[in-house]
Amino acid sequence: METFFTTSNKIQHIIKSFNLIKTLYVSSIIIGDANTGKKTLARYLFPDAPMVSGENQDELKTALQNYDEIIISDFEKLSNQTDLDFTNKRIIATANYLGNPTSIDELFAFIYTMPPLQERPDDVKYLHHKFSKEALDTLMLLQTDIDLNTLPINLSDNSKSLKQSIYSHMIKQTIAIDDMREILYDYFYTHLDGNDNYRKHIGLFEKPLIEAGLKKFGSQLQLSQKLGINRNTLRKKINEHKID
Amino acid sequence: MNTKSIDFQSFVEWDNSPFILFDNQGKIIYLNKVAEILFGYVSKKELYDIALSYAPQNFGYKTTAITLNYDSFNFYAITVGYENEYQLSFRLYSSPRIKPAHALEKDKLIMTDINILLEANISLFKTINTNKLQLLTDQDLPSFKIDQNNFSKLLRKTLNAFRSSDSIDISLKLLIGQHVIIDNAKVAIVQFSIGANGRYTDTDHDIRSLAILSQINCITKEHTLKLEIPLIQ
Repeated sequence: METFFTTSNKIQHIIKSFNLIKTLYVSSIIIGDANTGKKTLARYLFPDAPMVSGENQDELKTALQNYDEIIISDFEKLSNQTDLDFTNKRIIATANYLGNPTSIDELFAFIYTMPPLQERPDDVKYLHHKFSKEALDTLMLLQTDIDLNTLPINLSDNSKSLKQSIYSHMIKQTIAIDDMREILYDYFYTHLDGNDNYRKHIGLFEKPLIEAGLKKFGSQLQLSQKLGINRNTLRKKINEHKID
Repeated sequence: MNTKSIDFQSFVEWDNSPFILFDNQGKIIYLNKVAEILFGYVSKKELYDIALSYAPQNFGYKTTAITLNYDSFNFYAITVGYENEYQLSFRLYSSPRIKPAHALEKDKLIMTDINILLEANISLFKTINTNKLQLLTDQDLPSFKIDQNNFSKLLRKTLNAFRSSDSIDISLKLLIGQHVIIDNAKVAIVQFSIGANGRYTDTDHDIRSLAILSQINCITKEHTLKLEIPLIQ
């Protein structure tokens, strides 16, 4: 079974508390942002418990009749929270936000808060490494193909944005000129519509060209020489594409 | 009826209301069983001072309606009297306990090791607070029957009342010699107590309501909160 890696003090207390009440019939809920590992943690602690989503009210009702131990994910999506009877059941719920604080307070004995990845630097390092390795395997790349140090760390949507940004960065790094053409071809094919398309889509080429050029050569004067276009034309295009 | 031949001492000894006999220096000449327990919660001097304040001006007995609270002891009246200059008798009348409106469904209660629940709740508390905790608990407390979910909620709320207190003292012990009657059976009492330099009182009402559900006696004070939990077997 996969272990749940964390060095976060908070989460270690949560795990300790859960391990103590594992055999007791109490209801617990883990509340925290999406993609912070709540479900993974619940699954890790209770590997055999059936997992039901709060979206499926009927399925949850049946599960409550048939099982004494249940993981309820997306608890915030459940609309009839106050009708639930958790007497002598072992409930482990997860929710992306608190929702109705009064019903949560009445239903659950243990209310845990999962810290976001921003507050867990060591966990981010671990996940970053894990996702990078996974991405290399999936995309069948060699470590030498990618400079792992330049991989982005995007935590705006916790592990989801972290994973997506790593995959997307790796794909971008390995993309060949033919792939770029193909991507543009597909894009134009779906987006060419109405009139004035040249002006509408030329930015796709011009904007990154000027931005990269400015970064590389520093001044507009130099860039205009390198691009072989008039300085005034370059300035006009910079304004047109709203480049800082 | 000639009562001189009857020895009343054992009746007084086993009375449910405390009875204390002081000498004129404030020393205790005699005290009954329940008074012995009462002295665990109040000093001899305090009771002697009260006895002096409410003593009749002349020989005889005087009963005064007065509310006194010492931990779980609640009194509604006292009688102070003396027949000579050497002995002062002091009797405190225990307020009757209100019969709980909520009957316990014993078959739904689960045998529980209270230390595990407490430890789990302390871990939960530590995920939110960094306050210093001092825990004194009796690891040999026997398991007893309780509604685990309701009791856990009660523990969470009780601890939460101390969320911004410094150096919180938590203790869990068996109250030796004290019992509560549940379903006509004598049940021992475990006392869970938290004390600190201060606490929030905003959830006292919730705490009391949850305590009533498990027939737990809840004693709330400015700096402390105590739960007297029946050790149902």
